[in-house]
Amino acid sequence: MKKPSLHPLTWWIWAGLLAIAIIRFQSTVLSLLCVGAVAGLVFWLREDAPWGRSFTWTLKLSLWILMIRTVIGMLIGVPIPGNTVLTLPIVQLPSWMPGIRIGGAVTSERLTSALSEGILICAIILIFGAAASLTSPHRLLRTLPVYIYEFGVSIVIATSALPQLVTSVSRIRQAQLLRGQSSRGFKSWKRIAIPLLEESLARSLDLAAAMDSRGYGISSKRSRYRPIKWSYLDSFVIISAIAVVGVS
Amino acid sequence: MIKFSNVSLIYPNSTTTVLENLNLEIVEGEMVLVIGPTGSGKSSLLRLINGLVPHHTGGILAGDVTVDGTSTQLVKPGGMAHLIGIVGQNPLNGFVTDTVEEELAFGMENLNLPNDVMRKRVEEILDLLSLAPLRNRTIATLSGGEQQRVAIGSALVTHPKVLVLDEPTSALDPIAAEEVLSILQRLVHDLSLTVVIAEHKLERVIQFADRVVYINGQGETKIGSPEQIMVDSPIAPPIVELARALGLHEIGTTVREMRRMTQDLRDKKYQSVEPATTSNNSLRIKIDSLSVSYPGHNAVKNFTANIHGNEIVALMGRNGAGKSSLLKAMAGIAQHAKGSVEVSGINPQSLKGKSRRESIGYIPQEPSDLLYGQSVNLECEQADRDNEVRPGTTAALLEQLVPGVSGHTHPRDLSEGQRLGLALSVILSSNPQVLILDEPTRGLDYQAKRELVSILISFAQSYDKCVVLATHDVELVADLATRVIFIADGEKVADGTTLDVLLSSPAFAPQVAKVMSPHPWLRVRDVTAAIEIS
Repeated sequence: MKKPSLHPLTWWIWAGLLAIAIIRFQSTVLSLLCVGAVAGLVFWLREDAPWGRSFTWTLKLSLWILMIRTVIGMLIGVPIPGNTVLTLPIVQLPSWMPGIRIGGAVTSERLTSALSEGILICAIILIFGAAASLTSPHRLLRTLPVYIYEFGVSIVIATSALPQLVTSVSRIRQAQLLRGQSSRGFKSWKRIAIPLLEESLARSLDLAAAMDSRGYGISSKRSRYRPIKWSYLDSFVIISAIAVVGVS
Repeated sequence: MIKFSNVSLIYPNSTTTVLENLNLEIVEGEMVLVIGPTGSGKSSLLRLINGLVPHHTGGILAGDVTVDGTSTQLVKPGGMAHLIGIVGQNPLNGFVTDTVEEELAFGMENLNLPNDVMRKRVEEILDLLSLAPLRNRTIATLSGGEQQRVAIGSALVTHPKVLVLDEPTSALDPIAAEEVLSILQRLVHDLSLTVVIAEHKLERVIQFADRVVYINGQGETKIGSPEQIMVDSPIAPPIVELARALGLHEIGTTVREMRRMTQDLRDKKYQSVEPATTSNNSLRIKIDSLSVSYPGHNAVKNFTANIHGNEIVALMGRNGAGKSSLLKAMAGIAQHAKGSVEVSGINPQSLKGKSRRESIGYIPQEPSDLLYGQSVNLECEQADRDNEVRPGTTAALLEQLVPGVSGHTHPRDLSEGQRLGLALSVILSSNPQVLILDEPTRGLDYQAKRELVSILISFAQSYDKCVVLATHDVELVADLATRVIFIADGEKVADGTTLDVLLSSPAFAPQVAKVMSPHPWLRVRDVTAAIEIS
């Protein structure tokens, strides 16, 4: 079955609307359902291109966020009464910090509230990850009007950075593994971050120079080769997302 | 067409001038080659033409550069887009869109050309550069040669009068490079396009050039015909080295000229030199029916080979033939690999940490991937600590490989060759049994290449070690390798001594072999040695 080709802005608008809906629903179950549906869509529609992989990457990122968020939610905060699951030792805080405590009894209520808040945040991240995964950043740039040229350049650099970062990270990790360095832990991140930063900086400068020397933004008018058209399918996707917001 | 009048260029915080008082006039339909050691300012010279230097990079420019009467001081690079097409060193970084057709159209859209003109010109370029079958492909999935052709196409599509190319063939295999260069040659002759090109691999381009600009790195430049410049240039292709070694009065820059000049030399009878038979060394790498597959295609198919100590094996083949995948499998990091690989009797995938460093050293295509220190010194100290060797060992190695690198420099500020040297000394400090290099000569000049060759040869000869490298550089292979494995589409096509494999295919024969054919000589020193004993 042929994959439908949509206007590049469609998925971003759709993601924005879904995020609004998720915030308004405030429901863990619905958020999880939404993420499931989005994941299905991404694995069906995404292309085999560098940006196609950014969803998997945001998936990993949000699992991390969820974990850290839950742990911190359990440790720090205002006590919520309920069934105690386990008790952690309490850290003594000075008297001028009333109402906050670190450690103490972990109630199942506290656990669920920490988890469900984490899931909401992750759901929103994942939905935007899906939008990034489904639209090529370059096609997105093509839809921008010319008068926001300077802005457009920064957008293309920003949006093409994430997917290319994903490819570079895996390449550099591989190289570091071969130097016999472990690829886990905090220290390994420093080792990856430095070559990564250099590379993305060099790449962005190259791209900016290339765009400039090919005359991007010199003319206030800009013609379109095979313009990207807004189709019925685009309207359908957006309307269904608006409907979801309306229900919430 | 292009006029440099009294041009001097200096970058802030730098002690040397890049260019000093350059006067150069390039007429329409001329093909000018810019040469010089790494980091001497070739790219800066090219980028001066459309004003990227200094508009984009900063730097102090004195004098004036005009193209077709327009001064770059008055117009920004974008304003020259209809006049100059520029192709950067790494075309992949400069692509703005993702499919071939859209990339070709991008420049014309910027110039606000009407739609019917664009459609016509896109078709024209697709035909001219034989890109028609690729029109809807995603650029990221194309091979290096195809990407280079797309980059040239998208520069040409606005019908510029000047085309500027920075190392257009450095990442290409010999056949793809020839394709690209013959297209340029045709454009110069058919359309009277003015072409300015910078390149390290002179053996590929010098025969096409009308004039050569030599930059020495201290700001001085020399301009002349290829023959004039080649008489005493420290940078010279093997064919010129051959002419010098033989003491010929004239210098030829093409194989045809050189064959005419060496006619009587070739007609003499020579004793054949018996190749030194290698003793049986221990088995280092054992590959048995290895296959590596990615979703969609098989990179390596049923590959079997044994590599022994003291061998230097070159993997050759077209872009995308599976060389890198094979190297990764040898190093034990290829995913989806079937079959078995053993390095010194151990499966490389199970190696970790120190034992990995001591058995396999791997230099990736981008040597900077390995480097994360804030300075050369920190990088060397880290390597000493990792490998539990005496402090200063790595620094001493580096001094031997590339003398005169300041320890306080940031690895990013090193030249391409110096960075490779640093990565190499970090890897060599752990004294690995097997050294694997992926395309080590991208961006290296002849001097840096000579150093690399001597390091690798002495490494392979010490203690029964072996070197495996993937490369497109035929001249490097002739200088360095003892054995060549030729791969096409993931399958082994030829495997034999360097002499046998390189002589059997004209596309992959080094220049000296082409000149001296049918004598089995690959390098200048083979020729002089043969003449001496007879």
